[in-house]
Amino acid sequence: MLNQERIRLMTKMAAFEEIEGKKDISVNGYFRGDYISFQVLKSAIYATFGFAVALLMYIIYDLETFLTDFYKMDIVAFCHDVLIRYVAVVVVYVLISYFVYSYRYNKARRHIRNYGAQLRELHEMYERERQK
Amino acid sequence: MEHSFANYMKCMNANVKSDAERNNGTMTNLLVIKEQLIRIYARFEAYITPVLKFFLMLFSLIIINRNIGFMNKIKNPAIVLIVALLSTFLPLNVMILLAAAFIILHMYALSLECAAVVGLVFLLMFVLYFRFTPKDSVAVLLTPICFALKIPYVIPLSMGFVGGPLSCISVSCGVVVYYILNYVKNNSEQLVGSEDAENALSGFKYVIDSLIKNDTMFLMVIAFSITVILVYMIRRLSINYSWQIALGAGAIINLLVILIGSVSMDTDISIPGVIFGLFVSVLFVLVLQFFVFNVNYSRTEYVQFEDDEYYYYVKAIPKLSMEAPQVRVKRINPQKNPHRN
Repeated sequence: MLNQERIRLMTKMAAFEEIEGKKDISVNGYFRGDYISFQVLKSAIYATFGFAVALLMYIIYDLETFLTDFYKMDIVAFCHDVLIRYVAVVVVYVLISYFVYSYRYNKARRHIRNYGAQLRELHEMYERERQK
Repeated sequence: MEHSFANYMKCMNANVKSDAERNNGTMTNLLVIKEQLIRIYARFEAYITPVLKFFLMLFSLIIINRNIGFMNKIKNPAIVLIVALLSTFLPLNVMILLAAAFIILHMYALSLECAAVVGLVFLLMFVLYFRFTPKDSVAVLLTPICFALKIPYVIPLSMGFVGGPLSCISVSCGVVVYYILNYVKNNSEQLVGSEDAENALSGFKYVIDSLIKNDTMFLMVIAFSITVILVYMIRRLSINYSWQIALGAGAIINLLVILIGSVSMDTDISIPGVIFGLFVSVLFVLVLQFFVFNVNYSRTEYVQFEDDEYYYYVKAIPKLSMEAPQVRVKRINPQKNPHRN
């Protein structure tokens, strides 16, 4: 005996599971703190990598002056400079990531909550049918 | 008789006419065409997407080969065709990597330092792009193409509708790609590689300078980013015509930022060219809005599930979803309800 409404609901839920749900379910598998810190850490790594590339380009850009000034230059001050910029870049990246990923986590939670409500509704439908 | 909610809704829906029936004239024809397109897409999506990817890749490679085709070996049409065919079943981000590889190979044919600079700049941009907006691959591919076609403003205006606020990152990457390639194309004679290490280093310096000291490029990046974010914010408002207002506001702010920037930074942008390009772009985006963005281009879904009694194999075919859902309230004469006495 086929209950059309129930099938419609199940179809919608299955479609959700197949497509958008996969990401939401995997995101929801983490605790909020874990998810955000994991993503922020990944961002920090990306930022470090990007900064290294930018630093490399900066050195090659002025390689002549860099090499000739190397002995005259105050290495400590240079490293200090680089470090400050590095920290600034990473902080900016981390801040942006934090907001982006906490927003994404909340969105995933919302979707999963809807899905949970649908599951409960489905359960109720089964209960009703069993009582009939 | 039980007035179930389902029956009630069926009565309501029966009275709501579709948009196509309501309006007359060209609007009807356009909506009919739109319905046909949606139907065709919903049925044949599995075939249409690979074909579109093929043409996108083909077009990109042809433009790359024509403008910065320094390596003759990969200008071979056979190779171009093969790569384009490959990309029919490759994910979009891999297509971008392939296009980037093509570009770097051409740069390498020109000189080692060109390849190095372009490669490193790409790396830097990928770090930003892949972290935040890996789904905006189309924007990264299309931005340089639209610049070459002189309608770059289509991209920020469209991405405000199709993407999110972070899409300004992918659009900016596309802008940078265009300007760096444009510079290499225009200065290819000076950038030809030589054995001299000093020349190599200065070549490196020239290309990087072309980016850092390129006021026009920075202006475009800022203008496009602001446009994307503004269009995104406005189109999400729940007011009537939010899409049209977003498009208009986006175009205006784009023009304003470019005007202010070009005056204060003293760049040589032809303002009439910008206005004309914006105008054409707005028209183009209007067409896109009608046929593409408005519609939830859902495809035919196949899902399977089971319960205690049956296995279900469901094929869900999307109904035609029309423009901004028009809620029409139809007043129903209160019927004599036998339950209420």
